[in-house]
Amino acid sequence: MHLGYSIDRRLRISGIFVICGLLIEALCLMWARPIAFVVLVVIGGALIGIGVLFFLYSLVSGAAHVADDSDAAQHKR
Amino acid sequence: MPTIAIVILVVFSAVLAGVIVVRPATTVSRAGKILAFCVLFFLPLFCLAAGMQNEMTRSESTAFCLSCHIMEPYGKSLHIDDPNYLAGAHFQNHRVPADEACYTCHTDYAMFGPVKAKLGGLRHLYVYYLGTPPTPENIKLYKPFNNEVCLHCHLGARSFEEGVVHNADPATLPAIKAGTLSCISSGCHETVHNVGHWAKDVKFWSAKD
Repeated sequence: MHLGYSIDRRLRISGIFVICGLLIEALCLMWARPIAFVVLVVIGGALIGIGVLFFLYSLVSGAAHVADDSDAAQHKR
Repeated sequence: MPTIAIVILVVFSAVLAGVIVVRPATTVSRAGKILAFCVLFFLPLFCLAAGMQNEMTRSESTAFCLSCHIMEPYGKSLHIDDPNYLAGAHFQNHRVPADEACYTCHTDYAMFGPVKAKLGGLRHLYVYYLGTPPTPENIKLYKPFNNEVCLHCHLGARSFEEGVVHNADPATLPAIKAGTLSCISSGCHETVHNVGHWAKDVKFWSAKD
């Protein structure tokens, strides 16, 4: 139960970062000014990057927890 | 890819990511896991790459360069109705692509020329927003204009190779090609933009639609 909650929460955080990054990207694409490129790369890119990395981290940490749980179950047997 | 298509894809990706945020339980099923991978990994990176590519292409446009107020007189100089103005003559006669006029003449055609031009653009942004930008007439090139940029198009052209002035002295043409005699600053083609030094009765040309 705790594991599911943890992954859900991480997916939510990852999704929020990705959504923020994508919205900034959409605004920058509509805003045809030189500063828009910098905002897109620095802020939008950073938010999307953090979101993607957090998603990958949630997968890895989730897989690690599943492995730990199955090891514990085998020890109990 | 057109800008509007990228924007639609970006918004679509954000909406799908919103579904994951609102209902993370959808990722329990196999299809949900694939959706999460697409929405939180593949699509954002694809959108970012497409957006950056779009911005890179946009940054080469004449309109992009002239969107800074400081560059307005340089944009106006492209419309001066006088063939002695080198920039205007090239722009008006489509010797350079009209929608990439600045980029065509102010980017080295060497391997890393476009990269250097983009880095120079970042420097412009820094000065424009965080530094003290010079007045338009006081803007100077970082280094003397490179003959290679002119020769990229003119080398081998009859008007260049057989030009009377270019062949008046046998040493002139080799010196131009070697870059030891500047096309611009040697005094032959020195009227380029000349912002701040226009005649009072200067006329401007505008394209007929």
